[in-house]
Amino acid sequence: MAITVKRMERPEPERTSYLRAALSGMALTFKHMVNPVKVTQQYPEEQTDLHPRWRGTHRMEVHADGRPKCVACGLCPTVCPANCIRLVGGEDDQGNRYPIVYEIDEFRCIFCGMCQEVCPVEAIHVGRHFENAEYTRDRFVYDLERLMEQDHPTALLWDPSDPRSE
Amino acid sequence: MADNPTTITLTIDGQEVTVAKGTTILRAAKQAGKDVPHYCYHDGLSSPAMCRLCLVEVEGAPKPMPACVTQATDGQVVHTESEQALDFRRGVLEFYLVNHPLDCPICDQSGECKLQDYVHEEGRKHGRSREPKRIFGRDDFGGDVLFYGDRCVMCTRCVRFMTEVERDARLTVVERGNRSVIDTFFEEGLEGTHWHGNIVDICPVGALVSKDFLYKARAWDLEHTDSICPSCSQGCNISLHVRDNLVQRLKPRDNLEVNGFWMCDHGRLNYEWLNRGDRLEAPLVRSESGVRAMGWREALAAFLEAAAGAAGNAVRAVASPRASNEDLGAFRALVESLGGGDIVYRMSRAADEVVLKGFPSLARRRDLAPNGRGAELLGMLRVGSDEGTGGLEDVADHDGIVLVLGDALDDQAPDFGSSAALFVHLATHASAASANAHFVLPITSFAEQEGSFTNLNGRVQRFWPGIRAPGAARPAWFVIGVTLAERTGSTAPRSAAESFASLGSSFPPFAGMSYDDLGTGGALVNQPVSLSGD
Repeated sequence: MAITVKRMERPEPERTSYLRAALSGMALTFKHMVNPVKVTQQYPEEQTDLHPRWRGTHRMEVHADGRPKCVACGLCPTVCPANCIRLVGGEDDQGNRYPIVYEIDEFRCIFCGMCQEVCPVEAIHVGRHFENAEYTRDRFVYDLERLMEQDHPTALLWDPSDPRSE
Repeated sequence: MADNPTTITLTIDGQEVTVAKGTTILRAAKQAGKDVPHYCYHDGLSSPAMCRLCLVEVEGAPKPMPACVTQATDGQVVHTESEQALDFRRGVLEFYLVNHPLDCPICDQSGECKLQDYVHEEGRKHGRSREPKRIFGRDDFGGDVLFYGDRCVMCTRCVRFMTEVERDARLTVVERGNRSVIDTFFEEGLEGTHWHGNIVDICPVGALVSKDFLYKARAWDLEHTDSICPSCSQGCNISLHVRDNLVQRLKPRDNLEVNGFWMCDHGRLNYEWLNRGDRLEAPLVRSESGVRAMGWREALAAFLEAAAGAAGNAVRAVASPRASNEDLGAFRALVESLGGGDIVYRMSRAADEVVLKGFPSLARRRDLAPNGRGAELLGMLRVGSDEGTGGLEDVADHDGIVLVLGDALDDQAPDFGSSAALFVHLATHASAASANAHFVLPITSFAEQEGSFTNLNGRVQRFWPGIRAPGAARPAWFVIGVTLAERTGSTAPRSAAESFASLGSSFPPFAGMSYDDLGTGGALVNQPVSLSGD
């Protein structure tokens, strides 16, 4: 079998020179030097705008008199796919159903927001919040008092102007 | 079946059913596997046909017929799922929701509520009523019952239960029209009645709720285990409702041979002791150097050694009428193996029976333990007072072998058994007397093991484990079975079923019986049972 040799055409020197690319790159650099575009955010001095549907750590809504809005119906621990909510219901001094124990393990939580979605009295919410650093792990089990103290904005689970995402 | 006048054949939703003459459409439909929605009808009560929810379409009938009172006739064609029948029910359900507060999130019945179920399945998605709802608030009916008038659907099951079954008409309907409401007479309430817990069970909605169970757990969180009520010798069929390994409430199971659909309040509310935290969790073995917790293997080896050492001493044994047939049978075998002797048991006895007048075969019996009859059939002797105390004077200072099964010995002096050559205490809880025991072996309660009780009529009924046993506690039949197998070189029973089946060989009343024969409803023992004990 005869061997055929393919002869490669070497490109012209002006096509292979890096000079053109280097110059165009430097042109961009100089352009930014005279007309800077800011991309770095100076966190934490500057805070990020979270998306309205951001789902972060929880928050319990309270009534005007300081009682939690939760009625201990048991739907959030039932729906929770991560099994991170512990609830023990009871009766308060006015005969209302209320949570004696309400704990959310934020480490187990997967932030799906189903607890907020299922809540019939709009008590438990996921929050637009992400700064959760703590010194100990057990601080991540939020009890009722801690959940009521949270004051960050709550998440919108859907866009009110487009509730069905159409 | 025209030639047989006692049965008729009708068609329900295209399915032919043959039923006895006089059967209502609702019961015929149940036979055909169709559940016609209903509130006021209950198997154990009369049918006033007032909830109007069981309306069905009967071909040829000019109007919807209430299935709970309409007798099925030969050749009848009934539709329970047709568009027409669904329309009847949708209309009725809409009226039910006119005044219903829809407070399911805080209602204890949520999850086991018939209104919730039916509206969810067949009701309208949205209410059309714009008028304000009438409001009654909640009322304390006394006893264990709270009444939420707003949730009531006026089926009057509770009124009929009190009138027809308990035969003590404490409840009635007052006012008329949409103002009508269930009420008690003046301030009398349900206080002092012994069966009022049943109205909470039969209430199809959350109008009548138990104070004891109020807000404690959600219906869908509870695991149900078939069991037998341990509070008296009637042996009511119950189920244990368990959450987080704690018994939350007891509910009756249907068994027409024993308790119908009912159970008494005494039994219903007597479950807290099952949740006690101070349980024995490991075998405790006493020697010169003090008491030491051990594993079972070590403890039983030590016990066998001690039993061999104490051989020849007379045996005195105490059993408990709260132990299962299997446990008592195994205990009897253990006593025989150590030389034999009388086994005594103590059982508290109430002053009188509390009979359910509308179902007279059911009563809260005088003997306040589930298996006194079983102990008797296994040849054990009753001692002690009606409070279930005393009677153990012979055992307390016995210097031979003392064996105690199940009896906690709470009333006994701290020196009980201190002079015994060998004192073995198989118990769920420790007491002052168990400090003298050479071996304290932790056993399970009836709620933690499989087994059977024999009720006062000689009916053997099975129960199943509903909660986990604490620590190393094991069923007594298992502990004793393993010990005896080691001692005699035989094989230990591997299950409660085997243990029960082996009872028959030594005790004629149980001869030939097995768990397969008992089923969930139980079966009578082989010999007629005298009622002398009652």
